[in-house]
Amino acid sequence: MADTKQITFRVRRFDPDTDSAPHWDSYTLNVPDGMTVLEALHQIKAEKEPTLAWRSSCRMGVCGSCGMFINDLPMLACQTQVLHLNADAVTVAPLPNYPNVKDLVPNLEPLIEKHAAIKPFIIHPNSKEVDEPTGEFIQSAEEREAFSQFTYCIKCGLCLSACPTVATDPLFLGPQALAQAYRYTADNRDCGLKERLVALDAFHGPYQCHMAGACSQACPKGVDPAFGIQLLKRTLVLDSIGFGNKPKHVAKVMPLADVVKQIEEFAPPPRTVK
Amino acid sequence: MSTNKSSSYNNRLGLKGWMYAGRYSFERYLYLGHRLSGLGLIAYMVLHIVETANRIRGEEAWAGLMALFASPPFRVIEYLLFVMAIFHALNGVRLILVELGFFLGKPQEPVYPYKSSIMKHRPLTYIIMLLAFVVMVLGSSSLFFE
Amino acid sequence: MRETRLWSLHILVIPIIAVLLGMHFALMHYAPVFYDVSVDEAREFSTMIERGKSMTQFVVYTLLLIAGLYHGLYGLRGILRELPLTPTLVKVVDIGILIFGLMIFALGMYVTWWTFNAPLGG
Repeated sequence: MADTKQITFRVRRFDPDTDSAPHWDSYTLNVPDGMTVLEALHQIKAEKEPTLAWRSSCRMGVCGSCGMFINDLPMLACQTQVLHLNADAVTVAPLPNYPNVKDLVPNLEPLIEKHAAIKPFIIHPNSKEVDEPTGEFIQSAEEREAFSQFTYCIKCGLCLSACPTVATDPLFLGPQALAQAYRYTADNRDCGLKERLVALDAFHGPYQCHMAGACSQACPKGVDPAFGIQLLKRTLVLDSIGFGNKPKHVAKVMPLADVVKQIEEFAPPPRTVK
Repeated sequence: MSTNKSSSYNNRLGLKGWMYAGRYSFERYLYLGHRLSGLGLIAYMVLHIVETANRIRGEEAWAGLMALFASPPFRVIEYLLFVMAIFHALNGVRLILVELGFFLGKPQEPVYPYKSSIMKHRPLTYIIMLLAFVVMVLGSSSLFFE
Repeated sequence: MRETRLWSLHILVIPIIAVLLGMHFALMHYAPVFYDVSVDEAREFSTMIERGKSMTQFVVYTLLLIAGLYHGLYGLRGILRELPLTPTLVKVVDIGILIFGLMIFALGMYVTWWTFNAPLGG
């Protein structure tokens, strides 16, 4: 058998039907190199504790379902190799700052509600064009790169668990929503800053971020929400003195016929296999 | 499927999440230090305005107060206040720059291993902390004034 | 634009505090280094009154008072409002801090004005 190490997993359990407060259960496994925390949970469920509950799906770090608090840091269980934690004891708890439904399952509704509050969709002056497109919005590679980083968010919720403001303030929008607010504000197809100001210029908006940076440290996809929030603050300050998101800068539409012509101009390279 | 909110456990960290920086990065500790020094400084400022208002009670009352503040324990407290003010001011300079989006690089496609804005402005953090340390050491001369 | 304006002002007063507080530190706490005068002398009643009678000092203290109180109390308001408060408590915090700030400002201005008008020798 390949080299394995004996690791004790302390897992937080909570059954809403029988418990008034969570408690901890311990399980010991022989962990081979490369085993992830998610795989360990599957093994625990298969061999030791069939009632253990958690959320997971893709097991490869793209769906954002398996966020957990592992050794006091929020991580995706599928992306965390047990032996890389360099600890003989691994604590696994549900993500903090979300209501705990059962065992390791958080109720992510606060994340979704805050995300919805900042209107996470393109607001273009020609709303008919957005709903029934006749062409393509023109966006250069540079214009795309201004916000592309923030589009990688997988809504895993680790950032809200890490944030010290979310810990005390239930109404704070949180790093995910604020970074997405910047994602849309910086998108040249969008001119909706004014509509989002209702949520952003309120007390529980970006100014309650104090750059602790824990959200960016926790983010598993390199979205760097803290960066997005600081850029959002800059945008809001500039807007308050008159350098805002003006409709005339918003992307123009290239008619479909021209789009097709542009595609046809990019002919494929000549065949090399006869 | 709907979650029955009344039976779920409130897992909010509360004040512990605010105050306990745990295994997070240095900047999270700086956030804590900035908050605590800020609270200390505003408390001191209010006390200071009230205390210096004692001058209207006349020269004798004032001299008595100044004699108290010249005593060794108060000289130490005064220096600690200086340390708090320097930390808050210099960390604040870092925060002004960073919270307006400077020293954080430009948005770019994330390529693993990801470099967060925390790491990008780390050199600035080190310079500011070094400057703060130097000023605090130089300022300790006030403990030895006659 | 309200929160943006409040926050921007919080940042804008920082250079005022940095310069004026720096001057205040140099004069009151580091007088032997910057003014070749002992700390006791710098804080003596008659020295304080004499200094306080200059228009520069009056303006400096007024600005420092306003800037320092605004910056500090905005920060305190932020810290308190980040706690889970009921809507009533939110109003109590906002109005309470405003009133408290105005009271301390009034006290500070009264003392500054008193010093400006005090006869030399107290």
